[in-house]
Formats: sequence, structure tokens, C-alpha cells
Amino acid sequence: MRLTSGIIAALAAALHTGSVLLAAQAAPHVSLNPAEIGKPPVTSWPTFNGDYTAQRYSTLTQIKPSNLNRLAQRWVYKITDVGAQRGAPVPIVKCTPLLVDGVLYITIPDHVWAIDARTGKPLWHYDWVDRGGHLIGQRGVGIWNTTVFFLTPDNWLIALDANTGRELWRKNYADARKQYFSTSAPLIVKDHVIVGVGGDAMDMPGFLDSFDPVTGDLQWTWWSTPRKGDAALATWPNEAASDHGGGMTWMPGTYDADLNLLYWPTGNTNPVFAGQGRPGANLWTESIVALDPDTGKLKWYFQVSPHDTHDFDNTTAPIFFDRVVGGKRRKLLAQAARNGYFVTLDRETGKYLVAKPYVPLDWSAGLSPQGEPIPIPDKDPTVGGSINIVNASNWEAPAYNPKTGLFYVNSVEGNAIYYLTDNSAQPSGYGGTGAGIGHATRVLKAIDPLTGSAVWQHAYPNLNNAPSTLGPSILTTASNLLITGDDQKSAIIFSADKGQVLWHSELSASESSGVITYMLDGKQYIVSAAGDTLYAWSLPK
Amino acid sequence: MNGTLRSRLVRVLLSGASVALAIGLPVHVGAQEGAQPQPSYQNMTPEQRAAATRAFLGLGPEPDKAAAARGAPMYRQSCAFCHGPQARGATGSSLITSDVVLGDDRGEHLVAFLKKGRPERGMPAFANMTDGQLADIAEFIHLQVEEVANRGAYHVLNILIGNAASGQAYVAAHCRSCHTAETFAHIGSKYRSPDQLQRSWIWPPRPADNSLAVTATVKTPDGASISGRVTQLSDFRISLVDSAGITHTIDREPRVLVEMNDPLAPHQQMIQALTNDDMHNITAYLDSLK
Repeated sequence: MRLTSGIIAALAAALHTGSVLLAAQAAPHVSLNPAEIGKPPVTSWPTFNGDYTAQRYSTLTQIKPSNLNRLAQRWVYKITDVGAQRGAPVPIVKCTPLLVDGVLYITIPDHVWAIDARTGKPLWHYDWVDRGGHLIGQRGVGIWNTTVFFLTPDNWLIALDANTGRELWRKNYADARKQYFSTSAPLIVKDHVIVGVGGDAMDMPGFLDSFDPVTGDLQWTWWSTPRKGDAALATWPNEAASDHGGGMTWMPGTYDADLNLLYWPTGNTNPVFAGQGRPGANLWTESIVALDPDTGKLKWYFQVSPHDTHDFDNTTAPIFFDRVVGGKRRKLLAQAARNGYFVTLDRETGKYLVAKPYVPLDWSAGLSPQGEPIPIPDKDPTVGGSINIVNASNWEAPAYNPKTGLFYVNSVEGNAIYYLTDNSAQPSGYGGTGAGIGHATRVLKAIDPLTGSAVWQHAYPNLNNAPSTLGPSILTTASNLLITGDDQKSAIIFSADKGQVLWHSELSASESSGVITYMLDGKQYIVSAAGDTLYAWSLPK
Repeated sequence: MNGTLRSRLVRVLLSGASVALAIGLPVHVGAQEGAQPQPSYQNMTPEQRAAATRAFLGLGPEPDKAAAARGAPMYRQSCAFCHGPQARGATGSSLITSDVVLGDDRGEHLVAFLKKGRPERGMPAFANMTDGQLADIAEFIHLQVEEVANRGAYHVLNILIGNAASGQAYVAAHCRSCHTAETFAHIGSKYRSPDQLQRSWIWPPRPADNSLAVTATVKTPDGASISGRVTQLSDFRISLVDSAGITHTIDREPRVLVEMNDPLAPHQQMIQALTNDDMHNITAYLDSLK
């Protein structure tokens, strides 16, 4: 037994490396000046959300309602060289592809592909052999000049040559044995590679790390929960609870260059369902935080789910938009939170304008003076069970269209019974469980972010429950398109202003990735993945 | 950091892959992917569920419960005062995320560690205990880690906390418009656990005889009308099986009219309004109908 495990350990150590497979064609010439990342994406899609606003809005209009009947698949790329992964019987692309200089970059856990955007043929494939971590998903890469950054399930930041896939360096930043795992896309801001982390099985604190893109040196760390001496410790019973308080940072944040502020959504509190050992609001879990990207110092926070006990993991993307409110131009951000609240905040101050449920819910007794929903203790998980909502949103990207002024989210309306499985005074880990009850429906909502009310909505008919873990992302365009999908293998284009179905096409699986669009050789492409297959659509010549 | 990773993790990751596949993951995957286990996961035995989650999370080998039981009294006597009864920390640190514990497989590191202790930090040496005793203590600690980190091994506690008489009154007032007493006869002995009962009376599983199936009537522009059990429904298509067993798939063109009927619709409405107290009371009442 010991001998066997020793041999396997040695074998695994030897295997613990990445390898790259290069196609037999000339290397491309990809290079991305980080100053370009914040500009509206036209001929590239250079960062997870397209630009730093996270609007996932394109100014392109070549593809428009009047020519959708001619929209056709140009190519597909199917992943055929990866079999079942740990906990994942088939590969599912959950990234948002990046497109720079004619090359697309897609990922699944442990794997990166560079794909020729003109042909759909792979240029190189990087294969990492992990030693731990969860293979739930992978959201994509970040690019800085000629370097691609990739995060592995076992928490390595890997720098690759964008043109060849050759590994330049790697850096481990969290311990998989403590159930930290990484799925995120690194966010590139100036000369910072900003990396978040996931993992809530063992009551560890969340954090953000910023690394030097050339050397991999750590520039700063921000912890999601306060440390000794911080006034926010008053929201925890003691330092040990805060040190083990969760608040993972597993989705990419956003950045406002004018304010030089980084915005990040933080995940659920730990222990997850058992809150009795951590009375208090539990800052800065379940929050949107604004940080200085050069130092990692906190400028402001807004806690969307104070004292969360429902895994309301507040990681859905916040989106920036600027609007005139009361005669004054305001820099705002909005989030359709997983706890069912829609919030609109001032980006400079964090003060709220709107906090309103966007799905039916009854867990809140109203808002605090700061606009934070006040949870009703009776709705907490209990030994006998407590009915509450399922997560109303998740990691799938929402969108905002400046032409319609509407915020779009594929929400889920449904319920679950939450049980407390650890009613001790000192719970640890999840300490409870939740199971869906009744029918859960996916509803696309177009929300006015200045009121929090839906202007239109579309419930997708389905005999089955809307999956809570996988769902369609959204992209909108200046030609009034809202590009998304349902949970039954259809890619769907709605009109952004009215929500009318304009086009649909059946795929090999339900849409699973972010949807992107870009101009290449004078032609507008729409690219997204469904399951193991990447699709590219455009108009014919 | 990864260079120090021990065999406990690696070995199980390698063997875990086959376990996961054999029983058909996906499993309850936690925060990143929502809180609701997949149906296949619900149908697993508790042992399968624990094993699947352990493999998915990469938690290490299944703790030896017999060894842990032998180690328990020794842990209580020698360790619990500082590290807490469940190793979650007291005056001393929590052992759940300890590097020394997580780096150990079956005591191969912990035994030597416990023998020496950490006198410089106030942890005594346990030099008088045998290797076997220390290995049993190590296994007890591994079991504490498992009970925290493996949410697939969690057990719902005794959920029968309601008032049966109040539950009976609720059923009499709210359920008898659709149900007779026969519906509830012996319902308390039909499920393997009270939480299964609770789940099933709130949202009954649709039986194989299709008695609770969703049905629809579809009217097409040419005047035809088709009724039957719905097998698929989307924005673009409806499939139904008629009384003769014939499957019809109809594209939902603009002038196709679809009228749905879900026999569980009243239960869906009930879920929106059900208070926790009513739920607990009804479950307590129904559980008493053995």
C-alpha cells in the first residue's frame, strides 16, 4: 500500500507539468498592449468581459435583425482530445473566449487552446496535469502583450507565450489541500495580473493576489475578511471566525480607469449554511468591493447579502454604466445578485440608488439605511428545513445595452428547502444542505437599472428545471440584438428593446460559454460554445 | 508549495477519477455551481454520495471508522482540551486545515509528529503512546476533517420538530379540496426518512404511470387539435404522446396554440406560500400516519 502510493506520488510529481502541442503551421503574431483592454471591443475581445465595463455590448451592426435569416455557421471546433475529467464526464466550455490578432483562446480545466479564428483550426494546445483542485469550470485566459495567463484547478498562475503556448513561468498562490481551487480568468489591469480564488469546503478566507506580468512576483494581496486591527472585525464574533470566513473571489472583477478603482464581487460566507457560529454581518463576504489596483487597499464596499446563510455567493458580474440621475451625470454600477436583489450603486462612493428584488422572494425584512437587504432569521436553514429561493443568478454573464438603457440577466425563479445539518455552537464547512423543491424556471429579464423593475421578461418554457449551475450568457449589440440561449440546446437572438425572438438555431448542447462578437477581415463574427463545441457564425459573402 | 504535497491527496485523486465515473457524477458541487444536487446524486446511497463527493473534492482516502472509534477516547483525553472536541480549535488551533494533518495519509507523518509534539509552542510530546494508539488518534482527526469537508457525508438531523395536531388542522383546511383521506393513509411509512416524506408531500415525484404527467392541447393553424402527455417543451417545439401512444412533435409557429395542464400546479402555488412552521407541522402529522 505504502509502496504503491509512493510510486504513484513519484509518478504524479514527474507528471506535474504542462505540455504543449503545436500545430504544423506558422506561429501567429499576437500582441496586446494592455492600454487597449479598456476600449470598446471591435476587432478584438481582449478580456473576459470584452472591456472593463462588463457590459458585453458591441457597437458592431453588420449583423442586424433584417439579415438574421442569412446568419450561418462558418466553422465549428469540437474538443476531441480530452476525455472525462475528475467529476466531469465530458468537457464543457465555460470560458469566455478571447480574440486577439485573429487568434481565439478557449479553455476548460487544465487545458488552453489557441484557435485560428479564420479557420477554426487549433494552433496550439497547452495541457496541465493538476494535483488537486476541483474541475468545475474554467472561465478563460488574460492577455498582456505577448503573454497569456491561465489559472489551474490547483492554483497555479501559468504564463504562456501567446503565439506558441510555451510555458514562460508558473507560480502557486493557494493550497488545494485546503480546498482552494481556481477557475477564474485573470484580470489584466495595467501592469497587474489580478487573480481570484474559489473553495468553500474548509472555511478558508478568500483573497485577491496581484502579480507582476513579467516576473510573476506578488505585488499585493487583499483578504476578503478583515485581519487584526481592522474595524470591520466588529462584524465577526472573533478573529478566528474572520480568518475562516470565506468570501471567495472566483469570478473576474472590473476596473474604472478614470477612478483607478478595481471592483470585485465576493462570494459566500463560511461556514456556508450554518451561521450560528458567526453572528454579525461578516464583512467583506457577499459584497461588491472597490480597491486600489496598485495597492489592493479597500476604498469602499457594499454588502449585498449581510450574514449570508444560503450560499448566495455574490459573484455575478457587476456592470458599469453612466447615466444622468437628477440632472447629474453619475458613474454607476449594477448587479443582479444571486440573492435575488438587483442593486445599482454609485461607482465613486458605493452609495446605493436601487436595491430591489428581481425575482419573487420573502427572505428579507427590508433595507438597512445603507440599502443592504436585512435577512429574516426564520428563513435561515434549520434542522426541520426552511424554504427559500434558489440562487437567482450565477456566473453566466449578464449584459447592459446603452442604447436601450436596459440590464439583461437570465435569472432563475425557484425554491429550495435548506437544512441545518450541524446545529452545534461551532459548525464548520457547509454545516447544511439545500435541495430544490417545485419547478425552477429560467426567466430572461430586461431591467431598468434606475428603478430595478423589469421592462420586459421572457420565461423559457421547459418541462425540466432550469439548471442552477450552467446557463446561457448574454451579449447585446448596437443593432438591437440580444444574443443568448435556452437550456434546451437553442441559441436564440432576441430584440434587445422588446424581447421578441428574432432567430434561433439548435446546437449540439446548451450554450455554456460567454458569447462574443468581433470584426475580422471585414466580417462580423459571433462566437460561443455549447458543451464541447465552439461555434462561429457570420453572414455569407 | 506543491512539492510538499503528500501521497494522501495524489493517490486519491488518481483513484477518485474512476470512482466518480463509475457512479455517474455530477455531484453536489457547491458554491460555484449552486446548492442543488443533481437528481442522480439524490438517488445514490449515502455511502456512494460520500465517496463521490470525496473524490470530486480530492479529500483523501475514506477514514477508517473503526480506528477512529478506537482513537476517540484517547483524543478526548489528550487533545480535546486544546483543540476542541471535534478538532475545530479551542485554546489551541483548529486541526481541520492543519498542514500536518492534511499532509498525512494513514498516520505515516502524524505518528512521528505526535511522538515529538511541539514543545516550543506548548504542545506536549506523546512519547509514551504506542504507534498504533497514535495512528488511531490520527485517524480520529482525519474523520473530523471528513465530517467538515465532505458535504456528501452530511446527514439531515431529526426534522420532526413540528406539531402534529396543527399539521392535521392545516391538512383538513387546505388539502381536502383535491385529496381524500386515502391519499394520506399510511403515508408516514412509505418513505425511508422524514426528509424524504417532507420533500415528497410538498413536491410529489411524477410516477411512472404518468398519473401526474404534464399534459397539453395543441391547436394547429389547419384546425387540428392534439392532446396528450408532454415530453418536451421549448419556445420552438412541443412533443406530446397521445392516448394511442403516438408521439407528435409540433413546431411552435406563431399561430400554433398551446394550452398546458400541470396536475402539480396547486403544489407549485403552495410552495410559494408555505411557512416553515406549517411545513414542519404537516410533516409531523403525516409522519404519524404509519
